[in-house]
Amino acid sequence: MRRRLAGAIVAAFVLALAPATARGQALPRTADGKPDLSGIWQALNTAGWNILPHPAEDGVPAGLGVVDGGALPYTPAAAARQLEHRANRASRDPEARCLLPGVPRATYMGFPFQIVQTPTQTSILYEYAHTLRNIFMNSQHPRGPIEWWMGDSRGRWEGDTLVVDVVHFNDQTWFDRAGNHHSEQLHVIERYTLVSANHINYEATIEDPKVFTRPWTMRMPLYRRLDMNMQILEYECYGFGEAPRSGN
Amino acid sequence: MKTIAAVLIFTASAGHAAAQAPAAATAAGCPLEPVKFHACALPKAKSFNPPRTPDGRPDMQGYWERAFTSQDIEEHGAGFGIQAGPSLVIDTPDRKIPYQPWALDIKKDMVDRYISPLASCFPPGMPRHVIAPASHQIIQAPGYVVHLLEYSHSYRVIPTAAGAHVPSPVRLWQGDSRGRWEGNTLVVDVANSNGLTWFDNAGNFFSDDVHVVERFTMVDADTIHYEARIEDPKVYTRPWTMVSALVRNKEPGYELLEQACHEGNRAVEGMQSVGLKPYPGVTNIRGGGR
Amino acid sequence: MKRLSWAVAGIALLCAVPVLAHHSFSAEFDATKPITLKGKLTKMDWVNPHGWLYIDVAEDGKVVNWAIEAGSPNALLRRGLRQTDFPIGSELVIDGYRAKNGSPTANGTTVKFADGRNFFLGAASEGTTPQK
Repeated sequence: MRRRLAGAIVAAFVLALAPATARGQALPRTADGKPDLSGIWQALNTAGWNILPHPAEDGVPAGLGVVDGGALPYTPAAAARQLEHRANRASRDPEARCLLPGVPRATYMGFPFQIVQTPTQTSILYEYAHTLRNIFMNSQHPRGPIEWWMGDSRGRWEGDTLVVDVVHFNDQTWFDRAGNHHSEQLHVIERYTLVSANHINYEATIEDPKVFTRPWTMRMPLYRRLDMNMQILEYECYGFGEAPRSGN
Repeated sequence: MKTIAAVLIFTASAGHAAAQAPAAATAAGCPLEPVKFHACALPKAKSFNPPRTPDGRPDMQGYWERAFTSQDIEEHGAGFGIQAGPSLVIDTPDRKIPYQPWALDIKKDMVDRYISPLASCFPPGMPRHVIAPASHQIIQAPGYVVHLLEYSHSYRVIPTAAGAHVPSPVRLWQGDSRGRWEGNTLVVDVANSNGLTWFDNAGNFFSDDVHVVERFTMVDADTIHYEARIEDPKVYTRPWTMVSALVRNKEPGYELLEQACHEGNRAVEGMQSVGLKPYPGVTNIRGGGR
Repeated sequence: MKRLSWAVAGIALLCAVPVLAHHSFSAEFDATKPITLKGKLTKMDWVNPHGWLYIDVAEDGKVVNWAIEAGSPNALLRRGLRQTDFPIGSELVIDGYRAKNGSPTANGTTVKFADGRNFFLGAASEGTTPQK
């Protein structure tokens, strides 16, 4: 009797200590005790069209924007370039040629992605153009200069948040279809925080001294895809049509 | 290992025609030649107790290299800059792919007419993904085995929970994989191919009806026995089997790098300039006449 | 030096020959037409599946810019090389094979710098289709 009571007290104590959601449920954890981000996720917003607040247009829903402060701190030259990009987006947007989307655009393009989490590596498999990011945990970026479409990602846990540091980008990707862009000096810090079994709070802080006068942050929820038998499929856009499109 | 590899790079450059066949090499104490490897490796695998993942499955994680290139899965001699290689086909008796006569006819002209799908940076499909160039990594999480390929950043997701294939209209470059564990062997059933990929660079092909059953078995800590049973009654006279070894890459600090293939690909224009066309799938070749 | 088992040696050989077995070298390039080009590097594209070097070559009093197909830059990255190790303007000697279509394009096998550095470009490896 005493043992059962003691056990109940211990259990209550442990439950009280367990990081809990607003609903009071414990987060799913991996064998090594980290919040388990594994699964298939998708953003539900209009950031893929435009990360800033925007009205509706033909084929484009209105959006509240995902950027803190609702504006981007471009240098004057970069602000002018964004307007040119936007005016010429049908030809200039790398998405039009099915090129890799870069970071963080891959997160909110409107396609699902699968997170596969191991203690040494968190890989993100995006349905769009089979984009892949390997986030190597607790390790150093390789020495540069290196220019990659998806950058080089190094992850670590800060408490229950996965923090991912990304550098070594080229200047070829955009943040959205509205011409918001960066240089090869882009540095992204992402934060993935599992706040319930079925949603992640995602933040990305952008620094690029060549293009922006200060860092800025975007944030959005990522939702677990709960469809029955959910799996990521394929969107091999450069295979559509009769001939494979050249990347150039 | 890096130094040795660097020396071998310079050595290899010295004489392309003198490229060596790795036929004498071994893994897990077994010859790499597929028929011999198959006979030797599976009995050894029976007595091997592999390390386990936290959820109790054989741990196949790590970086892997294929034992032979995917230049041609049938036996082939050395060519410009390429190594000779044995047939990966272990069952048919003559170790050739058992094409129906119309299919063999088409296969003969394939590389003179069509661009290898891999050269256009498309996903390799199954089974080529498992023997594709060049750096491979396997990672595992509960319910999944994921096989990453550096080339064109291709990936394949093998769910190991029970479940049906995706509906038939959904066609995939990589096909749809459903895995299950039979003892220490990962058995993967692959369907829903879009029929647009090849086995290799030599134009060995299948239709979109192809059905592949793969078996991955660790032979020792550094060797996987890979087997694929291929069925496609539209194309072959009978089902057949291919085998190859995957050998662990133990280079310290090795990581997959980004290989953004489509983005920088100028090879397609070069091939189109000499008259090669994108591979349209065998249904379109056969149906449209030649 | 540790004694390599055959297995490791075999695999090391496989890794050492840049394994870009994705397309037919012989459809595009002429293995009977080896060429040596000397010139100044004007551009180097570290892209996949093939990197490209561009060199200005003096030919009959004119300067022709040649495009040289190389292997994947990932092999160079893994050896610790970076784009900055190939400065624009470097004098290079490149061995390779001419394109069949007559353009100033070649598939590169080796590149040598004036300072003696020497690299296997690895573009043609595993690119040939087998003899029928």
